[in-house]
Amino acid sequence: MAQVSGVQPVLQRSYRLMLMPAVIAVLVFAVLPLMGMFWLSFTGFDLVKGWDTGLTLENFTRLADDRRFIGSVWVMLALSGFGVVAQVTAGTLIAVGLEKIIPRWRHVRGIFVVPFVVPHVAVALIWLSLFTPTLSPINAFFDLFGITVPAFLTTRWGAISAIVIADTWASFPFVMLLILAALQGISTDLDEAASIDGASKMQVFWRITLPLLKPALLMVALFRFIETIKHFPLIYVMTNGGPGRATQATNYYAFIQTFQNSKVSYGAAIAVFLFIFAAIISFWVARMNSRLSDA
Amino acid sequence: MRKPKRKNAFSWKQAAGVTMMLVFLVFALLPIIWAFILALRPENRLFEPIWESPTALTLSNIPKLADSGFPKALFNSFVTASVSTALAVVIGVPGGFALAKGRSSRKFLASWALLLLRMAPPVGFVIPLFILYLKIGFLDTWWGLIGAYMVLTLPLVVWSSWTSLSQIPDELIEAALLDGATMGQTLRRVVIPAARPGLVATSVLAFLLSWNDFFFALIITRSDTVTAPVAIMNFVSYASVDWGSIAIASIVLTLPTVPVIVFANKYIVQSMGGAVKG
Repeated sequence: MAQVSGVQPVLQRSYRLMLMPAVIAVLVFAVLPLMGMFWLSFTGFDLVKGWDTGLTLENFTRLADDRRFIGSVWVMLALSGFGVVAQVTAGTLIAVGLEKIIPRWRHVRGIFVVPFVVPHVAVALIWLSLFTPTLSPINAFFDLFGITVPAFLTTRWGAISAIVIADTWASFPFVMLLILAALQGISTDLDEAASIDGASKMQVFWRITLPLLKPALLMVALFRFIETIKHFPLIYVMTNGGPGRATQATNYYAFIQTFQNSKVSYGAAIAVFLFIFAAIISFWVARMNSRLSDA
Repeated sequence: MRKPKRKNAFSWKQAAGVTMMLVFLVFALLPIIWAFILALRPENRLFEPIWESPTALTLSNIPKLADSGFPKALFNSFVTASVSTALAVVIGVPGGFALAKGRSSRKFLASWALLLLRMAPPVGFVIPLFILYLKIGFLDTWWGLIGAYMVLTLPLVVWSSWTSLSQIPDELIEAALLDGATMGQTLRRVVIPAARPGLVATSVLAFLLSWNDFFFALIITRSDTVTAPVAIMNFVSYASVDWGSIAIASIVLTLPTVPVIVFANKYIVQSMGGAVKG
């Protein structure tokens, strides 16, 4: 605010008043449950057996020895890692393609956004049908040429790829939109200067556009990474964590321990682990964000 | 200078680029077209490739869906998503305004907290809520679900109104204040109208976040207040999967999200990513 000096303190007070309800609501609706999560993780509560007396660190010491938990972290990293690489690659290629290859197909842009707004449970069900060999038109199509498409959902890496593919379909538009916005912020002068100096389109892309996109790419990758950690409907609907435990990511494992095995406190401890993970990444994003807005 | 290129000259590189874009287009569209085919196929032709009987289509899945519990589930989704969005807007927009224009040394902390709340895994919120609701009888109630959805909508609304309201020029606010308007009047009459498109888009996104939610509803609702995304799963049973109903229900569930494509997509960038500059 500019200098309306006498009014300033009054103003700041009314700003604080306006902030109050939001702060209270966040405390009640969000912070309170989170405190509940931390508290539960230090107790021994079981939905069937009830309370075990006293506070304990047992849930966390058990985590360290739980091979299902450690396995779930690897599954999570595989799903997130492959997923983010696939989404960021596809989304960036499409964004760059829309700008540089087919700039005149304006209406195509809208089509590419559609998958993003489909609810995840619908995404999961549609892809489940596409991965059901007896039903899928993809299998039927390849059958015409005598090629048998393998059943994705019955093998470990097949199931992981299936979830990565479905998630990529649902999420590349988000990457695309952010990269399109970033591309529009890049001045075309550099491109032109480089091509006048004799650089090919490919060289311009690799040497100029991509380096300038780096902050946006890193940001979008982090955003997607944190979202993929929260995968739920895709796993629940498409594989139910299977085959075996091949797609049982940590988030899903917390759900199983809490709501299927009734081990509420143990589930809360897994949730605490995920929360700390999210806290580290969001801190990174917030710092990048404040630097970008200051620049 | 570069040699002036002949217009429409065929170039392999251009062709490769266009082919790549077409492949992506097929990838984006195939599942959607497939959902429509599934929705329109009679049950006895489901497992037959579409090109063998392209005209065997039926609308019978639509009345079937209308007779199931799905419309009621849609209503539950609508009520809970609307109320949680309205509450989040009423509480969150003034908060976002204060963060955008007020002076505070804790803005970084606020932005981290908001981001963290949006990024934190829902399972962490849902476990304590479930235990609490079990004790106070809030399971399978609208208010229980609305309370849970505030976790989704409130941080989003505060965050994105913060982003969009910081673009309102300070002079506009000062002018209103000098004319004797109170802070609340300034917000209602000057600031909100000036930022309307962004705020509407934010509300739409907040609505969608609750509308699309599966996880909270799966845990918190049972039969009375089950929402549409969870109700779809009723068409899946161990014995058989009713693909036609699933497909038509998915299409119906997606329809309210179409406005996003039409007008909100540029605000997605703002409210999801904050300030992403090149």
